[in-house]
Amino acid sequence: MPSSVPADTPDADAAARPAPVPAPRSSGLSLLGSELKVLFGRRRTWALLLALAAIPVLIAIAVRVSSPVPPGRGPAFLDRITQNGLFVAFTAMLVSVPLFMPLAVGVVAGDTIAGEANLGTLRYLLVAPAGRVRLLLVKYAGALAFGLVAPLAVGLAGAAIGAALFPVGPVTLLSGGVVQPPEAALRIVLIAAYLAVSLAGLSAIGLFLSTLTVVPVGAMAATVVVSVVSQVLDQLPQLEWLHPWLFSHYWLGFGDMLRQPLLWDSFASNALLQAGYIVVFGALAYGRFVSKDILS
Amino acid sequence: MIAAGVLAGSIPASAGDPLPAKTPAQVLELLASHQVQSFSGTVEQSSELGLPELPAAGKPTGPASAGGAASVIELLSGDHTARIYVDGKDNARLQVVDQLAERDVIHHGNDVWFYSSKDNSAAHLALPAHAGDTARPDDGRGMHAMPTPGELARKLLAKVEPTTAVTVGPDVAVAGRAAYNLVLEPRTDATLVGRVAVAVDGKSGMPLSVQVTARGADKPAFRSGFTSLSLDAPDPSLFTFAPPPGSTVKEIQVPDKSHLPASFHEPGMAITPEQFFAQMAANGHPSVTGKSWDAVVGLPAQASSGSPAETLLRDPLLSQAAVVVPGGHLLSTALLNVLIMDDGRIFAGMVPPERLQAVAAGAQ
Repeated sequence: MPSSVPADTPDADAAARPAPVPAPRSSGLSLLGSELKVLFGRRRTWALLLALAAIPVLIAIAVRVSSPVPPGRGPAFLDRITQNGLFVAFTAMLVSVPLFMPLAVGVVAGDTIAGEANLGTLRYLLVAPAGRVRLLLVKYAGALAFGLVAPLAVGLAGAAIGAALFPVGPVTLLSGGVVQPPEAALRIVLIAAYLAVSLAGLSAIGLFLSTLTVVPVGAMAATVVVSVVSQVLDQLPQLEWLHPWLFSHYWLGFGDMLRQPLLWDSFASNALLQAGYIVVFGALAYGRFVSKDILS
Repeated sequence: MIAAGVLAGSIPASAGDPLPAKTPAQVLELLASHQVQSFSGTVEQSSELGLPELPAAGKPTGPASAGGAASVIELLSGDHTARIYVDGKDNARLQVVDQLAERDVIHHGNDVWFYSSKDNSAAHLALPAHAGDTARPDDGRGMHAMPTPGELARKLLAKVEPTTAVTVGPDVAVAGRAAYNLVLEPRTDATLVGRVAVAVDGKSGMPLSVQVTARGADKPAFRSGFTSLSLDAPDPSLFTFAPPPGSTVKEIQVPDKSHLPASFHEPGMAITPEQFFAQMAANGHPSVTGKSWDAVVGLPAQASSGSPAETLLRDPLLSQAAVVVPGGHLLSTALLNVLIMDDGRIFAGMVPPERLQAVAAGAQ
C-alpha cells in the first residue's frame, strides 16, 4: 500500500509545505489550465464529443433519405428540417437532453476525483501545493467546461450538417416570427448556454459521487442513474410537489430561448435551482474530500 | 414551470403601504372606471377541476394532438402560462407558452392571426371594418354605451346583492402590486361555487387575478392572475405578424358580423366555441332553469349528426372522464357539472349532479 496523505485543512496543507510556485493565484489558474489540457487532450473526451456530434448527423441523414415528416409528428422541430437545415441543431439538442448529455457529463464528472484515485495520481496532485479545495474547484470547473462544450458540439455539428444537406434560411421561432441565420446561430449558442447551466447541478452531483469511491465507473454510472431517476420522477403527476426541486425539471425549458421576445423566466429559475444543487453537493463533496484519507 | 411561481393571489400585501379602505361599491367603481390601455405581463393559470390527470409525457400540448372540445378542456385544466401584450384597442397579443411550443393570437387593426408552433399552422380572421367600434370584453371596458362607472357599480351591486354577498377582503399582492380583494359569495347552497375572489389593482383598478373556490374547499379550484405586469406600452413590432414560410394558412370566416370572438381558440380545432354556439343557437333554443348561481342550461336534442352531445362524447378525453349515470353520461368537475343525456339533450350548471338530473326529468 502506498503511503497515505492524511486529511488536512487546506490552510494547514499550504502552510505545512513550501510552495514551489510563488503566486498561489497563478498556481490555481495553471492547475485549471493543465486540468483542461488533460481533459480535452484525452481520447475519451473526444470520443464522447464525437458521439454527441454524431446525433445531429444521424438525424440529418435519416431525414434526408426518408420521406418528409408530417407536421406535428416526432420530436419538436423534426418536421422543419427539410425546409431549413438549422433545425437539425435544435432537434439534436432536444433529442440529446434526456440521456446523451447526462451520460457524457456523468462520465466526465464521475471521473473527476475517482479517476485520479483509480490511477493512483490523486496523492501526487495533493502533494503539490494545490490543496484539496482548490483541486476540487479545478476538477469541477473542468466538468463545467465539458458541460458547455458538449451542447455546443451538438449544436454546431447540427448546424453544419444541416447546412450541408438542406437549404438554410430564416428560422421560424416558436412565436411565429422569423430571424435571419446569424441571429439563429446566436439562439443556438444561447440554448447551449442554457443546457450548460442545466448540467451544472448534475456535474456537482457527479463530483460528490466521485469523492465517495475509487472506482470511476461506479461514480459515472451512479450519476447517470441519478439523472434518469430525476427525469422519471418529473413525469409522475402524483409527485407534483417535488417537481420544482428536481434538477432535471427545467431541462426541456430551453424552448424559451426560441420565443420572441426571449423569455428568461425559466433560465433564471433554472440557474437558481442549479446553484442550489451546486451549493449542496459542492458542500457534501467538500466535506467528504477534505476529511478523507487519500490512500491512492 | 408553473409550480415554482405559485400565484401570488393569496399572499397578504405588505403592511408598509396599505391601500385606503374602500367599500365594495367603491372597489367596483374603481374596477369599472379603469382605463389601462397598454400593458404587458405574464399570466399564470392553474386549475384543479378534478378531471383525470394524465402523465405529463402523454399530455396533449397542442392542437395537433388535441382536437375539438378536448383542446378547450386542455386550456381550461392544468397549468398554463401566457404572456399578454396590449397596446390600445387595436393591438393585442397573447402567447400561450407550452413546453417547446407556443400558441399565439395576434390582433392588429382589423386582422386577427392565430399561430400554433406545434404544427406550424396559422389562421387569419379579417374583422369587419366597424368591429373596432363595438365594445369588447378585453379592453375599453364597455366605456361607450355605459353610464358612469359609479352608477354602473351601484346598478351591478343592486342586481347581484339579493343572490350574492359582495365584500372586500384583506388586501392582497398580485404581481408585486397591492390590490383590493373583492369577494363574491353566493347566498345559496344549491351551487358548487363557494366563493369568487377578484383582485383589483389599488392604483389602476385593473383586475389582476381571479380565483374560484368550490363550496367546502379551502384551495381555489381555478385561479388565473398576473405574475408580472408592466403598464408601459409594449414594443409595436410584437403586433405585426406574417405567416412564417412553410406554414399552412387558413382563412376563417367571421361567424357573426357584430360579435368578435373573445375567447382564445385554435386553428387546429375541429369545432371552435363560436361554431359550437352558433350551431347551438341555429338548431335549438337553450332553456335556462333557475336563476343566478343555481341556473341550469339545457340544450334540446338534435336529430342531425354532429350534434353537440355527439361531438362531446366522441372526444376520447371527455368520454373517458364522463361517468355513466341513469339516462346518460355525467361530466363532473369541482365547479361545473355537465349531464349528457342518451337522447341527446345536454344540461349544464354550477350545481350538484342531482339537480341536473332533476331538471332533466322535469323537462321531459
